[in-house]
Amino acid sequence: MPLLDVRELVVRYGTVTAVDQVSFSLRAGETLALDGPSGCGKSSTAMAVLQLRRPDAGEVRFEGRELTVLTERDLRPIRPRMQPVFQDPYGSLSPRHRIRDAVAEPLKVQGRWTADGPAKVAELLDRVGLDPSHGARYPHELSGGQCQRVGIARALASEPRLLVLDEPVSALDPSVRAGVLNLLAELQDELGLGYLFICHDRAVVRNFAHRVIEMRDGRVISG
Amino acid sequence: MRPTAAGVTRALCLVAVLAAVGLLPWLSGNDPALTVLRARSPEQEPTKEALDAVRQDLGLDAGPLSLLGSWASGLVRGDLGTSWVSGTEVLPSVVTGLQVSLGLMGAAFGVAVVLACALVAPVLVRGRGSAGAGAAMLAAVPEFLLATVALLVCGVWLGWLPTSGWAGPEYMVLPALALGVPAGGLLGRLVADALPGVLDERWVELWRGAGVSRRIVAGAALKRVLPPLVPQFGMVAVGLTGGAVAVETVFAVPGIGRTALGAAKSQDLPLLQGAVLALLALGLVTGAAAALLRRRLLGPALREAGLQLPPARPVRTQPAIPLTLFTVLAVAIGWGLSRDPYAVNTAARLTAPSWAHPLGTDGLGRDVLARLGHGAAPTVGTAAAVCLLSLLVGLALGFLPGVAAGASDIANALPPVIVGILVAAAAGPGTGGAALAVALISWPPPAAHAAALVQEVRASAFLTAQRAIGATPWWILTRHVLPSVAAPVARHALLRLPGMALALASLGFLGLGARPPAPEWGLLLDESRAYVERAPWAALAPAAALALLAGLAVSGAAYAQGRRVSRTRKEVSDAVGRVAVGA
Repeated sequence: MPLLDVRELVVRYGTVTAVDQVSFSLRAGETLALDGPSGCGKSSTAMAVLQLRRPDAGEVRFEGRELTVLTERDLRPIRPRMQPVFQDPYGSLSPRHRIRDAVAEPLKVQGRWTADGPAKVAELLDRVGLDPSHGARYPHELSGGQCQRVGIARALASEPRLLVLDEPVSALDPSVRAGVLNLLAELQDELGLGYLFICHDRAVVRNFAHRVIEMRDGRVISG
Repeated sequence: MRPTAAGVTRALCLVAVLAAVGLLPWLSGNDPALTVLRARSPEQEPTKEALDAVRQDLGLDAGPLSLLGSWASGLVRGDLGTSWVSGTEVLPSVVTGLQVSLGLMGAAFGVAVVLACALVAPVLVRGRGSAGAGAAMLAAVPEFLLATVALLVCGVWLGWLPTSGWAGPEYMVLPALALGVPAGGLLGRLVADALPGVLDERWVELWRGAGVSRRIVAGAALKRVLPPLVPQFGMVAVGLTGGAVAVETVFAVPGIGRTALGAAKSQDLPLLQGAVLALLALGLVTGAAAALLRRRLLGPALREAGLQLPPARPVRTQPAIPLTLFTVLAVAIGWGLSRDPYAVNTAARLTAPSWAHPLGTDGLGRDVLARLGHGAAPTVGTAAAVCLLSLLVGLALGFLPGVAAGASDIANALPPVIVGILVAAAAGPGTGGAALAVALISWPPPAAHAAALVQEVRASAFLTAQRAIGATPWWILTRHVLPSVAAPVARHALLRLPGMALALASLGFLGLGARPPAPEWGLLLDESRAYVERAPWAALAPAAALALLAGLAVSGAAYAQGRRVSRTRKEVSDAVGRVAVGA
């Protein structure tokens, strides 16, 4: 059984069809890249898979469960198992909260915050290659690459099976990119995560993804 | 065009205001009967029978709906009813009052345009800079204060011009100045603040490089600046209708504003309804005229988005100015608080400032400094309560931007004085009524600010991440949205506190707020007018205190704006930097 199975997904904004009949599937431990020029519907697909923007038609089957028919309330316990990592490393963290609070928040929201919570947060920060002492800092005190690692740590805190990586290295300095990509590859080997990897950098896609789907004007053109 | 939430709310609010005016006799309960009985036959005992007869005569017994119906149908026929006090038709009094007021407002508008040109000219000639603090200060001085000072200086001390009545053109000079200068300050500031941004635009550089004369560049820049500002000019017209009430009262000009105020005080509700309606119509017609002018200037093809002004450059703020003003006020208030504001000493009436009475005494021999100090506490306390209320309403409406926009259009079109008159007519004058009046119209700026912040936070990626980890809407609201919105909006509301205190003082000055012998600042200024020739210091002290408050209001507001602008600027440049690094 595939981890994620998407059938004939459609997303419309008013009269514009951003995603038109897109289908693909993804197994655990596999990286599927969505490639294409900006505006082709890659990010809309990602948001619709995560049910952060409800699709207008089609099916999204995750771990065997059909998500599009679920209410927001029924969806809430499933959401932690599929986590996004965003393009803008600073924008994806609240500027008002310390790093350790950002990483601890999923545990608190999901009712898993216990006495060893702080130790768990330190462990997560260590896992993504950050010094646990960084936990006391605010996002603006960190570099873009460090913030992106915090974003990954926050995603891991939810103990996901699927990560939707929306251009996770596009806003980073080329020298930092390799580090973040290596971290993602290690995590996949170790935890068997499925990655839906959205990217428009051919070189990165070729090295990082197991399979590639190419999109243009909302449609899949190859893959 | 499809009706928008803002449009529907706007229409609803307008209907609500009209209905409130029409329902005034019902809203005020039955107590006008006593007032009217007193006015008609002072010797008659206010027995139950006599009061009932008056009530029946005035139609106060009828239910609210039939009252509203008969008022509205009379309105359609052009019948505004008859005055309860004088028994004459309302319409002729309203028309004569309106003629006088239109003359005064026309003259004031002339003053405003001349002053605005004087403020804008240096910016145009130099091609940069701004009208800055001077214009902002002129715009912040309330009309009642300016009118009192003008009366004191030009009329009483120098004896140049007549100070009361309406018998010839020379009677128009002082009222027109008092009414026109704040309006001119506002007009000049609007244009002068927008000009530097326009003069920084590329085309100006190109034209200058091509040898186009400065005069033509200046003309083109003005043409570029004016259309987007025209709707705001409508606000100036609204300000004129509110200011007219105060100015006409000070100079005893028999205009529509003074008619409205007098009718409110004597609870002559039909006359009040007519006068308020005329003032509202004046504001709305000018607003509509402004909108038409804008269409004419732009042509129908250009939509709003097509011609936006570049953002105003951040004001360089000097915290020293508001801090100094605040310190001076605080010291005077603290000193005054240690003295007794109610001790009457008839032997020491209207004495000049001395060591025993640093600011002199008033007509009852009470210490002016003490009254100033004790007046501050209730004024600031009430203003703080109003401020909190406007903050809460603003935060709540910030989540409903469509509703907020429509309602704030109407709230912006109502000057505090007119709302104060309506509230006082319905509930009787008092501190509570004045506070309610100011609260009713002071929420739009915090609401607009909150709406912008809510939109910004909701669009951010970290909020999407919250939904992705399975956070409930309540968690997102209380942990993320409210904390990022509440603090800046609270700061904004707090910086508006001096402005609210000024609005309260102007209501007190007109006899619509605190009642004597309360030492409220506006009331102090009003009381001192009676003996201004013998004891000018008694008027100067509250006038100076109010002027300091106006200074605090404008410098504080500029500080808030400056901070906000510079912060968004920084964020934008950071984002640009990040993108550049990522590319």
